[in-house]
Amino acid sequence: MSGNSKNGRKLKIVGFLCNWCSYAGADLAGVSRLQYPEEIRIIRVPCSGRINPLLVLKCFQEGADGVLVSGCHPGDCHYQDGNLYARRRMLLLRSLLTYFGIDERRFHMSWVSASEGKKWAETVRRLVEDVKAADAEAKEGIPVW
Amino acid sequence: MVTGTIAALQKTAADLLVKKTVDLVIGYGQSPLGDIVPLFIRKAEEAERLQWNRHCTYNLVRYLTDREVIGPAGVGPEDRKADAQSKDTAAGKVAVVVKGCDLKSLVVLQSESQVRRDRLTVIGLPCPGVTDKGGRLLAKCESCPPEAYNPREGLCDLVVGAPVDETGGRPVRDGSFQEIEEIDALEATERRELWDRYFSRCLRCYACRNVCPLCYCKECVFDQHDPRWVSPAAGVATNRAFHLIRAYHLAGRCVDCGECERACPVGIPLRRINRKVAKVVEESFHFQAGLDPEAKSPLVLFSSEDPEEFIE
Repeated sequence: MSGNSKNGRKLKIVGFLCNWCSYAGADLAGVSRLQYPEEIRIIRVPCSGRINPLLVLKCFQEGADGVLVSGCHPGDCHYQDGNLYARRRMLLLRSLLTYFGIDERRFHMSWVSASEGKKWAETVRRLVEDVKAADAEAKEGIPVW
Repeated sequence: MVTGTIAALQKTAADLLVKKTVDLVIGYGQSPLGDIVPLFIRKAEEAERLQWNRHCTYNLVRYLTDREVIGPAGVGPEDRKADAQSKDTAAGKVAVVVKGCDLKSLVVLQSESQVRRDRLTVIGLPCPGVTDKGGRLLAKCESCPPEAYNPREGLCDLVVGAPVDETGGRPVRDGSFQEIEEIDALEATERRELWDRYFSRCLRCYACRNVCPLCYCKECVFDQHDPRWVSPAAGVATNRAFHLIRAYHLAGRCVDCGECERACPVGIPLRRINRKVAKVVEESFHFQAGLDPEAKSPLVLFSSEDPEEFIE
């Protein structure tokens, strides 16, 4: 399950996870001993509504190969509707990234609840595959950001 | 343009100053070199310097939030003090000359409580489209919807000049985003090349930000040092981040007045970024900026119906 880039460099992927659902889901994946790629570095935030799009851009600027934003399913937000603000923000961010020719497979968003350890593992697996594919297809000499 | 309109405009401005309705009129004037420039008038006898012609491109709404230009008292939300302290009813009150497109940016400022409408007199001018120095119609006028030719009733205090019915050589636009769709249709690598070519020219002079009537933050995110979100050094990567953030901060707010693109010294097609955002906001959040002074920005709202095809 290696996630190396085509020149053998280990991929760096940042995941912003809300404290109440996705982080707990990832934790469940851990205690359930589910295997998933280790390229993801998890940053716990209070709510997906806390995730300033600037944070995502900062990751890309600092050399991340991919970024994931993950929160509670709509209706499950600990703060009622933080994830619904996040949904609008990330939709807009994603369309701008795509518009500027950043491979859209490098930016993912997911809803993962505290009980979805399996979904979490699956989400990360797909994310790493996507980033790897984007990396393989990238033009020589064109950096991620 | 009809000379009668200029005379009427000058008389309107002089009246406002004489009657002490306002103590500053922001309009267009002519520089000694003959260029149209913003003009700030505080005395009735200076009103005859006001001009109005097809070179009046500037969006004067920009100055309403600029204290360095309009002085200590103004039309901002904190200017209640000026009311209370002074018996002079005109103190710090401002009149501003606007075209249909400029008016939309004023509507956004109103909706964000950045101007106190009761301290402001809005003079609307029907606009046949403005041109660059070479006499060529500006691109923003080519995509101007006919309903914006004339300043909208109810949003202006005064309208000077006859309504414009003719397109004046402008193609009648249906509000489509054709030029954006063309870029959307490219391959990702082509889009990357296209924008990187533009971004590599960016000098980070911030003219686009400084000229924008809606970039009024006291401390801009690009001037912050801690945290520093984007390096101030120009380079294609930092410039891409800069332009993305600039456009993002105008999401659901930009009214396509086109000032950023006009001010850009290296010719980056900034309206194509702004309009991409406007397209997403319109299609996904069903919102158009600059129409309703009571409207809230779509990014401080949400709907349970918001699209989420991109979410796993």
